[in-house]
Amino acid sequence: MDLSYRMRLLIVLLTIGVLAGGGLLFKQLLLPDSFGVYGHYRADAIKEAALVPIRHGTNASCFKCHSNEVKFHKKGRHQTISCEFCHGTYADHVADGKKIGTLPVKKEKEITTLCLRCHNTEIKARHEEVIKTVAMPDHLKDQNVKITHNCNQCHYVHAPLRYIIRAKQITGLMEAGS
Amino acid sequence: MKILNPSPEMDRRSFVKKVLNGTIAGSLFLAWPMGGTSLETPEEIPGIKGKEYDILNQEFAFIVDVTRCIGCGSCCVADKREYNVPDGNYRTWVERYVKGFSDKIYVDSPHGGLDGYQHARTDIEEEIRDTFFVPKLCNMCKEAPCVQVCPVGATFISPDGFVLVDEKRCVGCAYCIQACPYSVRFLNPVTKIAEKCTWCYHRVRKGLLPACVEVCPTGARKFGSMKDETSEVYKILKGPGVLTVLKKEMGTFPALYYKGARREVI
Amino acid sequence: MDAAHSSVAMLVSNYVFPNDLHVHWSMMIVLYPYITGLVDGAFIIAALYYLFDVKSLRPVARFSLLFALAFLAIATLPLLLHLGRPERNFNMLLTPSPSSAMAGFGYIYAVSMGVVVFIVLFVYREDLVELRATSKGWLQLLYRALTFDSIDVSEDARKLDKKIIRFLVGIGIPVAVILHGYVGFIFGGVKANPTWSTPLMPVIFLFSACVSGISAIILAYIVIRKAKGRSIDHNCIKTCINTLTLFFILAFTFEMLEVFSHSYLKSGYHHMVEGLLNGPLASSFWLWQVKICSVIPLFVLGVMGIFKIKPFLYNFTAAVVSAILLLQVLIMRWNVVIGGQLMSKSARGYTEFHPEWFDKEGILAVIIVMAIPFIILFVLSKIFPFWTADSETNVK
Repeated sequence: MDLSYRMRLLIVLLTIGVLAGGGLLFKQLLLPDSFGVYGHYRADAIKEAALVPIRHGTNASCFKCHSNEVKFHKKGRHQTISCEFCHGTYADHVADGKKIGTLPVKKEKEITTLCLRCHNTEIKARHEEVIKTVAMPDHLKDQNVKITHNCNQCHYVHAPLRYIIRAKQITGLMEAGS
Repeated sequence: MKILNPSPEMDRRSFVKKVLNGTIAGSLFLAWPMGGTSLETPEEIPGIKGKEYDILNQEFAFIVDVTRCIGCGSCCVADKREYNVPDGNYRTWVERYVKGFSDKIYVDSPHGGLDGYQHARTDIEEEIRDTFFVPKLCNMCKEAPCVQVCPVGATFISPDGFVLVDEKRCVGCAYCIQACPYSVRFLNPVTKIAEKCTWCYHRVRKGLLPACVEVCPTGARKFGSMKDETSEVYKILKGPGVLTVLKKEMGTFPALYYKGARREVI
Repeated sequence: MDAAHSSVAMLVSNYVFPNDLHVHWSMMIVLYPYITGLVDGAFIIAALYYLFDVKSLRPVARFSLLFALAFLAIATLPLLLHLGRPERNFNMLLTPSPSSAMAGFGYIYAVSMGVVVFIVLFVYREDLVELRATSKGWLQLLYRALTFDSIDVSEDARKLDKKIIRFLVGIGIPVAVILHGYVGFIFGGVKANPTWSTPLMPVIFLFSACVSGISAIILAYIVIRKAKGRSIDHNCIKTCINTLTLFFILAFTFEMLEVFSHSYLKSGYHHMVEGLLNGPLASSFWLWQVKICSVIPLFVLGVMGIFKIKPFLYNFTAAVVSAILLLQVLIMRWNVVIGGQLMSKSARGYTEFHPEWFDKEGILAVIIVMAIPFIILFVLSKIFPFWTADSETNVK
């Protein structure tokens, strides 16, 4: 085709225009469906964020089966502690209403370390009206027990003052029934 | 010997207990299938469970009470477990502020507080006047700079006020991480996309409290709906008392409020 | 805030937010503004000749266009290497967020690439028509495509070409300004970072971009011509150096103004910026960027501008000064990008940056990325000769 130079340039210009326009139209086709519903984002992402699998339950989820612990935990000082903090997440234990795994039970020094995370008086930031703290091994010495003792040898972890109160009642340090 | 009455801030816990008594008996009615696991839980945030979620009419608030944080790190552990957060990255963390008699401030956060704070700092050479703990998490800014700078619309503010990340759209450019004044965002080294605390959106949508609020033993973290006038956060926010936000001068208008945060907290 | 020359990270009072320990924008993000800066600076030289008729720049006009093209061609590469999910990079073109400076990249880059490519095609059209006549096979097909399959080299056609070139260069200047200015604004728009958030950031970036580009042209011209045993046009070098001096004075003034404003106003988190410049960046900023790579070249350029120097010595000094300034701009980008991230948003500490050798954003990757444009330039030289016939004077 014998086109003049100017005609060729015009064709090039038009081609660029058409390609650009076509590209912009094509871009609209490639946009995800829910884009722009609420704003400059994919509205489906909200649903996806809401459907992330839940791993922690609540203490109530544990109590549904572990009714024995309920009795003590609900009345003890540790009523605000999450079962899952010490034992692991609900999702590792139950799925579809069935048990899928056993959660670990802490032993010996592990228990002491866990207790001291909150109850260590070394960190002076813990207000007495929020939590009672002790220093180790001073606490053991004050209570006249071996300094190799773990916390759970005197304290019932689910209700830490239960045995202490009982012991005090038995030895007459405290009135019975208080 | 009397057991210390739970402080007024323990309303949530006693509320849970009250509902629990009714729940155990009627748990079958409250069975809520959630993505495969049947998790019988009481209603922790009123008005959500079992109802159609009205996304356009929600407002949530998160309050951190610095006077009640004991630095146990339960929140950090729960958060890491809930999302399998890779090591070295933190969706939430707890800082320890130590103030010397010279008024110098020493701040640290070993592993973000994941192991709690087991020992005092040994590297401070002056006498210590005061120590306190400050939990940190996403501020859910009402004018979020991270949303402003995201080039592809992968991070956004949902109509119910949550700043979320679209995991399918994020290109991992890390601009949002640079833009966040509170450093709550990070690039997940496994998925290579931006990630941050979401106030457990997936839990809130089912009427559950965020994991960190759930496990906090002292009520230092509080969460609730501002549409519920009986909620703790509503009462605190509408009541007298000083609440502050972090880096107010940045103009981000956070929905995360601090109660009892000292002037040294940045 | 203690600012010591020893490792600030070891100070007892140093506190970095847990998520701030890692520096997210690494060496590839230092390279990207550097590369677009080189493009801009080279384009300025071309613009001065093709639009503003600065005749003395004729020897380097074509070369600077090709230089700009070669670097523009790989501008996407450092960004792709940086992205966590490079396979999703088209999201920038599909859903660019109107409030994000970074979102502009896809379209701005496409437009500037188109403009530069077409300028090169129109500038070289006569040569390409000649080459078409003397070549065969698919090489001839290539030349036909590049000349819009036209063999018209009449006076009329050439006049039209000149008009088109002027027009394209005319729109090329604002496009180039946006191409590099938006990068400056990417940093300038981050209020969370006290070193970055300043309205001066795009201005500083643009002026230092011009410095780097012009220096690159001067250095490349001298080195390539010398390597081939050809002459160096002294007037051309003089014009380049004068332009370079102007842009460098502006760039340096704004860089120092920025630092001085911070330390005078003492507002907000200035103590962090001061601590950064006097602490972790003491060597790379004050010693290298300012003293060695800015003050010395400023002095040398001043001497070159005021005194009459013999051409040989002048050209040699021009090459040396250009090399130093190329380094200055690279160090400046490093100090802004990586230096800025060393400050934690805790306003209480600094983290450290350790460049890796074999990371996708590592030192080896940087070397490769910077080498590729020169390979492209070599390939381009086979299609589009750098120098026009009248400047092919050989030196014994």
